[in-house]
Amino acid sequence: MIEENGPSVHEQPEVSSSSQARQKLEGLLNKNMRIRMTDGRTLVGLFLCTDRDCNVILGSAQEFLKSSDTFSQGEPRVLGLAMIPGHHVVSIEVEADSLEDADGFGACH
Amino acid sequence: MVMKSAVEDDDTGWVLGIPEKMKNNANWVDITHEFKGSCKELNLGELLHDKLFGLFEAMSAIEMMDPKMDAGMIGNQVNRKVLNFEQAIKEGAIKVKELSLPELIGIIDTCFCCLITWLEGHSLAQTVFTCLYVHNPDLIEEPALKAFALGLLKVCDIAREKVNKAAVFEEEDFQAMTYGFKMANNVTDLRVTGMLKDVEDELQRKVKSTRSRQGEQRNPEVELEHQQCLALFNRIKFTRLLLTALIAFTKKETSSVSEAQKLVAQAADLLPPIHSSIQYGIQSQNDTTKGDHPIMMGFEPLVNQRLLPPTFPRYAKIIKREDMVAYFSKLIERVKTVCDVVNTTNLHGILDFFCEFSEQSPCVLSRSLLQTTFLIDNKKVFGTHLMQDMIKDALRYFVSPPVLSYKCCLFNNHQAKDYIDSFVTHCSRPFCNLIQIHGHNRARQRDKLGHILEEFATLQDEAEKVDAALHSLLMKLEPQRQHLACLGTWILYHNLRIMIQYLLSGFELELYSMHEYYYIYWYLSEFLYAWLMSTLSRADSSQMAEERILEEQLKGRSSKKTKKKKKVRPLGKEITMSQAYQNMCAGMYKTMVALDMDGKVRKPQFELDSEQVRYEHRFAPFNSVVTPPPVHYIQFKEMSDLKKYNPPPGSADLYLAASKHFQQAKLILESVPNPDAEVNRILKVAKPNIVVMKLLAGGHKKETKVLPEFDFSAHKYFPIVKII
Repeated sequence: MIEENGPSVHEQPEVSSSSQARQKLEGLLNKNMRIRMTDGRTLVGLFLCTDRDCNVILGSAQEFLKSSDTFSQGEPRVLGLAMIPGHHVVSIEVEADSLEDADGFGACH
Repeated sequence: MVMKSAVEDDDTGWVLGIPEKMKNNANWVDITHEFKGSCKELNLGELLHDKLFGLFEAMSAIEMMDPKMDAGMIGNQVNRKVLNFEQAIKEGAIKVKELSLPELIGIIDTCFCCLITWLEGHSLAQTVFTCLYVHNPDLIEEPALKAFALGLLKVCDIAREKVNKAAVFEEEDFQAMTYGFKMANNVTDLRVTGMLKDVEDELQRKVKSTRSRQGEQRNPEVELEHQQCLALFNRIKFTRLLLTALIAFTKKETSSVSEAQKLVAQAADLLPPIHSSIQYGIQSQNDTTKGDHPIMMGFEPLVNQRLLPPTFPRYAKIIKREDMVAYFSKLIERVKTVCDVVNTTNLHGILDFFCEFSEQSPCVLSRSLLQTTFLIDNKKVFGTHLMQDMIKDALRYFVSPPVLSYKCCLFNNHQAKDYIDSFVTHCSRPFCNLIQIHGHNRARQRDKLGHILEEFATLQDEAEKVDAALHSLLMKLEPQRQHLACLGTWILYHNLRIMIQYLLSGFELELYSMHEYYYIYWYLSEFLYAWLMSTLSRADSSQMAEERILEEQLKGRSSKKTKKKKKVRPLGKEITMSQAYQNMCAGMYKTMVALDMDGKVRKPQFELDSEQVRYEHRFAPFNSVVTPPPVHYIQFKEMSDLKKYNPPPGSADLYLAASKHFQQAKLILESVPNPDAEVNRILKVAKPNIVVMKLLAGGHKKETKVLPEFDFSAHKYFPIVKII
């Protein structure tokens, strides 16, 4: 499995810190990600794209309100494709098992 | 390790309000620091993405924390609980009885503002339904407010139904979704108007009882109450009149339109007192930091925020109370104009009415009312005339075809009748569509006009065939008469009108670049208007031929002297106007060619396209038309080639020629008896252009490198040329 997926990850041959970072991020692509924003909302969706400023695009994103809001609490709102500007990202989380996969890539290298 | 972090995450998950199902497999691991660190290693402008996800896909992402796109954002910036109606009542945050007069006035005014904002294209959820009271009027105990809430819902419901039925809106005009809200369907219209009337009567009693009496020392408190009662009375009455007028529009009888006109006129009389009493209502305690939403009792701008779909975050800015009355009075003016359409009986008159009405860029409600007034339930014009009969009348008025003349043997000929009836039946759909197109907003009309040309091309074909069949029939029965190109002329006339409108609307919508003007104006002046004038004069002579025959028949029968009256030609005005338009276009064409010669027209660097590509794109819809045949680019270049003249004209000659065209247009227009607004608008362009062209012909500012300006403020199709 890992071997087969290898080539797509190993695009850059030299092992510099930047290519390592790139690999790490690529390992996270299409993984479920939970991002908390500066205004307290949380978005859960598939990690699709990022750049140097940590702007993140999530696919099939769902929006969850902060807990203090009693009205319609817990009901997610479907957003679809959403871009979170880097300066509004407070925290980023991924599912533990998917992280193992991603780490797997790193370890294999 | 993993277990532990899972437990911790469960806690945070609960704090964040993540529901149970999301928590189940949520062994979330925080990677913030690592992630951000890795991002920093990327190059500037580099995107890290999946192979299947590119910039193109990224473009359609909504941007979080951008107030224009992120509907959920505002909801999170306010530190208050967002309550729905029932919750608000329970918490005592909202009164359902014993509201003070200022509270009622303020709530009603805000509701009016919401109504207008909705009519201007925002969603109901972000406008009218930010008022909690309309969510469930049954819970309101205050009679005035309950009646008003029901009345408002009915107004919305009827307006929505009208707009939906007329189908002349696009997403930018109107949001028809109701999000499952109840539009007071459990009460009848009659019951609601009755409730409003009861409240009105009650208020009138109060107004009377607090009125100042002669010689009485006026108590300022009583005076204030009097004013407030009057303010509320006017608002309730306005609501009732507006509702009754809309109800009148749903009735089938033509008389109900004039009834509606009377009602809106009465409503208009209430607007000045409503305007002067706005200050009696409670104002919103607007937190300027929290956006533009008014925050006041009974309103919760965010109550429906979660109902909005993600791509629908348009931030609805509710209009100001001060602007509300002005909007209503303009709306009422438009509705009054709409009611006048029933006084127009001729199909061509109706078409002109629709064109003129559309030129003011009216709101979607008035446009829809005009459509539904014209064709009631898509059956009869104004509910009384068959579209087929309207078309026959229009034909009689335009070309007087023998087949529709009572004095012609074809009129009672079965075969001829079949021919003409089936033709007229085939006409009715395209003509209804044409009228419907004029109900759309200006930008959408252009596109639709381009498409309807296909339908008219089919009609053109049929018209020519029917003409030929009728002619051969007539030749057998009455050899001295002709039936040549009667129906064809009529369809051609409409074809040309649509084509001209299509091209001209490009100026209004600012679609053309300066370097394109010359071929657009050329096409209009040398081609379309030339065709239009010959079509009109053919129709005119066909009319005259018919009249001559009638006169002869009359002479033969009665010995009475038929006085040779000088009749006004019915198409005379239109012929004159076409001449004027043609001269204006010709003047502009020559101006543009001359300016180009002097290097005063900026041209693009044609890299990926060419002038031919643009030209073909501009006239693409005309390819479906058979008569007149489209002029292709090569033909245009040949026809407009100046080298065919000997010697070829220079820029000075062309300026002078342009000046003469503008002069000619001016002379024609000044001869029009009773000039209308359009005549004056064209004159406003023609006059300065005569002078400017003469100056340019004399070499004025020939050396200047500054490009000329085209000022379309006086007329939307013809600019005043300005040399700076």
